[in-house]
Amino acid sequence: MFKLLKKYWFFALLSPIFMFGEVAMDLIQPKMMRIIVDEGVLGLSNNNIGDLGLIASIGIRMIIVVILGGISGVLSGVFANLFSQQWGNEIRKACFERVMSFSFQQTDKFSTGSLVTRITNDVTQVQNLATQTVRGFVRTTLLFFGGIYCVTSLDLKFGVVLACSLPFVVCGVVFFIAKATPFFDVLQRKLDRVNSVVQENVAGARVVKAYVKEDYERNRFGKANKELVDTQLRVLKLFAFMTPLANLVLNIVVVVIIKLGAVEVEAGNTTPGSVMASITYLSQIMHSVLMLAMIFQTVSRGKASANRLNEILVTEPAIADGSFDGDTDLKGKIEFKNVSFAYPQGNGEPVLKDINLTINQGETFGILGATGCGKSSLVNLIPRFYDATKGDILVDGVNVKDYKLKNLRDKIAIALQKSELFNTSIKENIIWGRPNAADAEIKTACDNAQASEFINVRPEGYDSIVAEGGMSLSGGQKQRIAISRALLKNSEILIFDDSTSALDLKTEARLYNALKRDYKGVTKIIIAQRIASVMQADRIAVMENGQIEACDTHSNLLKTSEIYRDIYDSQLKDGGELYE
Amino acid sequence: MSNENKPKVNMRITGMRGPRNYSAVEKPKEGKKTLMKLLQYFSKELNQVILLIGVVIVVVLCSVFAPSMQSKAVDTIAAGEFDRLSGVLIGMIFLYALSCLGTLFQNLISAVLSQRIVKRMREDLFEKIVNLPIKYIDTHSHGDIMSRMTNDVENISNTVSQSLGSLVSGVLTIMGTVVIMLWYCWQLALLSCSTVILTVFVTKYLSKVMRGFFDKRQLILGELNGIVEEKVMGYKTVVAYNRQQAVISEFEKSSDELTKTGIIAEVFGSSMGPVMNVINNIGFVIIAVFGGYFAINGLITIGVVSAFIVYAKQFGRPINEIAQVYGQIQTAMASAERIFAVMDEKGENKDGAADMTEARGVIAFKDVNFSYVEGKQVLYDFNLTVNAGSKVALVGATGSGKTTVVNLLMRFYDVDNGEILIDGVNIKDIAIDELRRNTAIVLQDTVLFSDTIRNNLKYSNLDATDEEMYAAAELSNCHDMIKHFSDKYDTMLTEGGQNLSQGQRQLLSIGRAFLADPKILILDEATSSVDTRTEKHIQDAMVNIMKDRTSLIIAHRLSTIRDADMIVVMDKGRIQETGNHTELLKKKGKYYELYMAQFEGNAT
Repeated sequence: MFKLLKKYWFFALLSPIFMFGEVAMDLIQPKMMRIIVDEGVLGLSNNNIGDLGLIASIGIRMIIVVILGGISGVLSGVFANLFSQQWGNEIRKACFERVMSFSFQQTDKFSTGSLVTRITNDVTQVQNLATQTVRGFVRTTLLFFGGIYCVTSLDLKFGVVLACSLPFVVCGVVFFIAKATPFFDVLQRKLDRVNSVVQENVAGARVVKAYVKEDYERNRFGKANKELVDTQLRVLKLFAFMTPLANLVLNIVVVVIIKLGAVEVEAGNTTPGSVMASITYLSQIMHSVLMLAMIFQTVSRGKASANRLNEILVTEPAIADGSFDGDTDLKGKIEFKNVSFAYPQGNGEPVLKDINLTINQGETFGILGATGCGKSSLVNLIPRFYDATKGDILVDGVNVKDYKLKNLRDKIAIALQKSELFNTSIKENIIWGRPNAADAEIKTACDNAQASEFINVRPEGYDSIVAEGGMSLSGGQKQRIAISRALLKNSEILIFDDSTSALDLKTEARLYNALKRDYKGVTKIIIAQRIASVMQADRIAVMENGQIEACDTHSNLLKTSEIYRDIYDSQLKDGGELYE
Repeated sequence: MSNENKPKVNMRITGMRGPRNYSAVEKPKEGKKTLMKLLQYFSKELNQVILLIGVVIVVVLCSVFAPSMQSKAVDTIAAGEFDRLSGVLIGMIFLYALSCLGTLFQNLISAVLSQRIVKRMREDLFEKIVNLPIKYIDTHSHGDIMSRMTNDVENISNTVSQSLGSLVSGVLTIMGTVVIMLWYCWQLALLSCSTVILTVFVTKYLSKVMRGFFDKRQLILGELNGIVEEKVMGYKTVVAYNRQQAVISEFEKSSDELTKTGIIAEVFGSSMGPVMNVINNIGFVIIAVFGGYFAINGLITIGVVSAFIVYAKQFGRPINEIAQVYGQIQTAMASAERIFAVMDEKGENKDGAADMTEARGVIAFKDVNFSYVEGKQVLYDFNLTVNAGSKVALVGATGSGKTTVVNLLMRFYDVDNGEILIDGVNIKDIAIDELRRNTAIVLQDTVLFSDTIRNNLKYSNLDATDEEMYAAAELSNCHDMIKHFSDKYDTMLTEGGQNLSQGQRQLLSIGRAFLADPKILILDEATSSVDTRTEKHIQDAMVNIMKDRTSLIIAHRLSTIRDADMIVVMDKGRIQETGNHTELLKKKGKYYELYMAQFEGNAT
């Protein structure tokens, strides 16, 4: 993370320098004040007759000093922010860039929700940490040591007293910080819990209401809320003790110094003025100790965030580019050779077992199978969303691991089971894979995906915004936009991962007709639940428990595969008669 | 934001305050009203508040007296009366101890107070959120609702626990000091006040400028968070289309812009302290100069001047503090306003006298008209009677109004006109809880909770025994799948079931609905991701469970609905035809067309 400081260390340095200026001006002021009071008003060295001219001239000088101090302070702030904001920006960008290079195994490990909070909230925390360090920390440290220096220079014995007491204060502060730090983690977890309950209730409002679970949810939330509040209270209570205790120690030092001062003054070793000045400095030191404690709180929170960000930054992308950068003669041939696969975060049970399969160029290949049998996992391996645990996958005769990722994924257009649309116009969503596609091409893709009909009737057409809340697009419409997007990509392999499930049958049939007509040379893999979606495919694979049970044409499967017949019966039996 | 039950919706959460829901400039427009409401929360903790103020007064008094004790001690030393010193020192120790004890209590009380208030506020807000009408939730960004519970309440929590003490003690110190200063010399006091006026003026001006930039920053931050959220949640689509580079540059553009605005905003913010410092010290010089002038002209004594100098210093500190917490309080006020905006929303009207204990489940829609948005009617003169114990299926193209029928029946939305009757009773006369308790629903977008499978299944019926649960799981065909999990029924669903496939989640939702033992069962595309063989098993099981109950099924898949007693074909908000499968096929109408469509396209 510190690598990212690069060009900003300069600001990080300038800020404390100007802060030094501000503190210096702060330290000069009391001296000038003393002259105004002692000489100007009281006239101590002039038979107690005040001197208005002196007051005015010192006053003007003081205003200059004050303004200089103010300017230093402002500049210090400017540089501190230039530093922390830009550094934070670098961290944010680096993290985002890194996340964008992660494999799905890695995003699964972090969980997408956590990645989002890291890039948003944690960066802000680290920025606060940075500002606090170069500004607050420097300021208080300077005041702290400046104060100690001044006291010591006034009277060595006072310095010794102070030196004896400071370890107590510092140890006390360290003790509290050490004690509180582990709580911050707990606090975060409790906060997450509260958030997740709210999240579930907002997103799942219909289910909560449908089962009349408002009271149940209120209890659940109440519990999470109570735990959060209790933890927060514990931290606050812990810190409640810190300042008064530190104050007490330093106030005792004040008393001790006055007592010691009395002895010293009586012995003629020091003046009352010095005693008074020492006390002033003590209060300055006291303030800086307390400020330090506050800063440490920010720092310990910021440090946890910094660690979380560092976890992202030190994670090397798990799926790396291969070396093959050439062109292939084949266009759209896929081979699975003894492929097995288990999800890294899963329970170890393989999702795919020993798959051997060749899909030829231009073939339409259907995949059917029960829920959770591994259909999606199988196609996820082709664009290397995940890597096979065992065996090889070849696209156009080249192992997928040998491709440059970009080239491999350019060959494949996939419409996902969950149509992920972005919060922008329909057009932007469709040209997602080919931002410079011509309008005519977009129109063709949408026509083929059967999306034009509903896009055109919208008042804003292609420029309609895909809005949140589900009110603006139905599931089927979302799927058709996702399909348009995949078709527009013009890849040699087209994968529909159960992406027509929400289309009505008529629309779906038109879509497949269009595919057959206009995408002849493209290899098409169609995962579906409905037999009608795949029955016209060149071959259909029937999957069961991570294996391919049978793989043949519709009519052959009807004869040979019991499972297929079973599926067929469950869907088409009655209609089958009509059909034949 | 880690628990997604409806990924499609959550994917598009637009960060903290989504730009579209951000009402451009967020001044606390109704500052007074918001403050009154906030004060109500404080008034519920009146004891604590009074105690806090009491303790703060003690602490303030101590801090006013402590300097005079110190100067008294120094005076004693200067006067050489060393034997009197011990008494003064004892007094000092006493005062310090009192002050420290007071500060301790001040800290403790404000901690307790803030947490109690925040706790109550969260509870109230949550209570409101659970009772909000679905319409509100459908039409508002979820991210926005979430951020009120998280960010906004957090803002208030921080402000109350951190700034409240310093605000109260600051105000008290200022008041005390002003009174004493006026008592000593009103001319000098007024001069001191000129600094205060300057301070207030500068604070106001600076914070106005600041506010503009902070608002802008908040806006960009919302956008940026939106990008992160959308692109990380939809990472698969980013990767599948090789859009990483484009997404990164979009993010970087937004991030750079945020940084630019952030720097300006924060620079203004951090300048506040030094600027206040300058003004204070100028005030100090003014007092010294004019005080000296008055003293030399014999208007006041020298002692008064030195007292004023001490007080002017004492005056400056709390003003500085208040200036510092001012921004925080402004933010908190804006947050409070947003929270109260939700709390002021009308909750669902749950009244109704009729109960459903004897309900048989006859559902009748009579001339129902409905539109989500005015002018865009979704249902037209909808008339439908569903007999008790029958299984009715709704089919039709997307947008034909099928789900709307469910929304109305569950009273997620209320009809514009017409009525819906259950056993002859208008559902508006049935208590909403009663209505829903007797109706189980399974939605296409499954909602599962980050809890164990057991608790998810039993969600619909907390009193169900394990045996009943196993039976329901068996019937919904999810028992086999659960058996394979390492912790069986105690397996935790991560992120609301993200570790399951869509089909598996649908099976669990169905199991949950079965366990509810409802009088009316509604399945809205509930098996769309379940393979047809499994679906068939479930349907066979349902025949038994739903023997004497009414079920309403919405599906695209004709196989899902073929066995229904009555099939209702809908088109553009109107009923096209009704009848059972065979009748409708014979009729060769819309249903026949739909049915044939499965083959027509493919039968070349």
